[in-house]
Amino acid sequence: MQFLKLFTPVFIAIFLILSDYKFSYLDSVKQFIAKLISPIYLVVNLPSQLHIWIDEQGATKQALLNQNKQLNSELTRLKGNLQTHNALLLENQKLTKLLGASYQINGQKFILGRVSSVSQSRLKKQIIINKGSNDGLAIGQVVLGAEGVIGQITQITPLYATVLMLTDPTQHVPVKNQRNGIRGISKGLASSQGKLVVNFIEPEFDVVLGDVFLSSAIGSKFPAGYPVGKVTHVEQHTDDPFLHIELTPIQTTEQLEFVLIGSNN
Amino acid sequence: MNTQRPYIFLTKITVFALIISALPLSQTVLEVSPFWLLLFFIYWLTYFPAKGRFFLALLLGVLLDILQGDILGQNALALILSGAFIANVKQSFFVSNLSTQQVYVFIASSIYLGLFLLVHTLIQGFNFSYYLLLAPLSGALFWPLVKLALSKCKHQ
Repeated sequence: MQFLKLFTPVFIAIFLILSDYKFSYLDSVKQFIAKLISPIYLVVNLPSQLHIWIDEQGATKQALLNQNKQLNSELTRLKGNLQTHNALLLENQKLTKLLGASYQINGQKFILGRVSSVSQSRLKKQIIINKGSNDGLAIGQVVLGAEGVIGQITQITPLYATVLMLTDPTQHVPVKNQRNGIRGISKGLASSQGKLVVNFIEPEFDVVLGDVFLSSAIGSKFPAGYPVGKVTHVEQHTDDPFLHIELTPIQTTEQLEFVLIGSNN
Repeated sequence: MNTQRPYIFLTKITVFALIISALPLSQTVLEVSPFWLLLFFIYWLTYFPAKGRFFLALLLGVLLDILQGDILGQNALALILSGAFIANVKQSFFVSNLSTQQVYVFIASSIYLGLFLLVHTLIQGFNFSYYLLLAPLSGALFWPLVKLALSKCKHQ
C-alpha cells in the first residue's frame, strides 16, 4: 500500500513527461491550467505596471512635446525607407511572375505588445508579453523586436503569452549569412548567457567575424530576412567536421520594452 | 493562537511559492536561487500531518511546470521523490537542530536538482548552465529564513 502511495504519482509524472514530449494530447489541459494560474503573473507584474503608470503620469508637457517631435522625424525617415522597400517588393513580384517561381513574400500583419517580465524557468529562456488569446494571438506566432527576431509564442493565456527566445537551446532556426548566403541552423547556448551557435557549416565556407546571419524561411515558421545575430567567434575543432560559430543576438532583451507579433495574412 | 488547517495552509503557501517562483530575476540569480516550492513543501510535510502528500506534490509540481513552461511532469517528479526523502526522515528532521535540518534540505534539493536535470538531459541533451548546481546550497542557506517565516504564518 505504501508502495502504491508513492509510485502511483511517480508513474503519473513519468506518463506526463512522455506524453508532453512525444504527443500533444495534454495541450488543451495545459492551456486550461495556464489560464487558471495566469493571475499569478498579474500579481508579479503589478509593481512594474504601477511604475510604468506613475512614469507616464509624471511626464511633463515639454518632455512629451520633445518626444513627439523626435517620433515624427523618425516616422518621416522610416516612410522614406518604406518607399524604397515598396518599390523593391513590386519589382520582386514582377520578377517572380516572369520567372514563374513559386516563392512569394508574405504579407504580414503585426500586433504591438509590451514585455511584462522574463519568465522564471531555470532551463528555458522565455519572456512574457502582455497580449494573449483575447488579442488574437496563437501558439507558434513569431515575435520580433525593433532590431531583429526575438522568438516564438509557445504558451498562451487570455491576457499573457510566453515567448521562447532564439537563445533557448531548444529553439532551432534556419539562418543564412547576409554577405554570401551560406546556410546553417542556429540554436541557443545554455552555458553562455544570450549567445547562439550556428551548426552545419563546413570549414571550407567563408564565415568571418562581424558577419550577420538572417532568418531563412526554409523549413521554418520564421519569416525570411530578419537579423538573428552577429558572428563573434569562429573556430574549427579538430574532432568536429563543421565550424564552431558563435553569434551574439542582434536583438537583446536588455532594455527591450515593445515587441511585434507577426501573423500571416 | 490557532494552527491553520493543513490544506488551507498548503494552498496559501503554494500561491506564495508560485509568486516567488515567477518573480523576475536575472538569469544567474535565477539559476542559483533555491527551489522555493520544495522548501515550502518540506515545511508543510514536516509540520502538518496530512494524507495524499505525494499526490499533492504531483499537483503542485504540475502547476509549477505550467507556470514556468517546463516539460509537464518535470518539476512534479522531482518534487514527489525529494518529498519522499523528507517523509522518510520526517521524525529525525522534526527533532533535529537547524544545521542538521539544513543538511537534510540540501540532500532533498540535490535529489530535486538531479531528477530535474536527468529529465532535461534525457529529452534535450546535456546542455545547461553550471550555476544551477548551486541551487541546493542556496536552498539549505535559505531554509532558516523560510522556516521562521512559515512558523510565524502557521498560527492565525
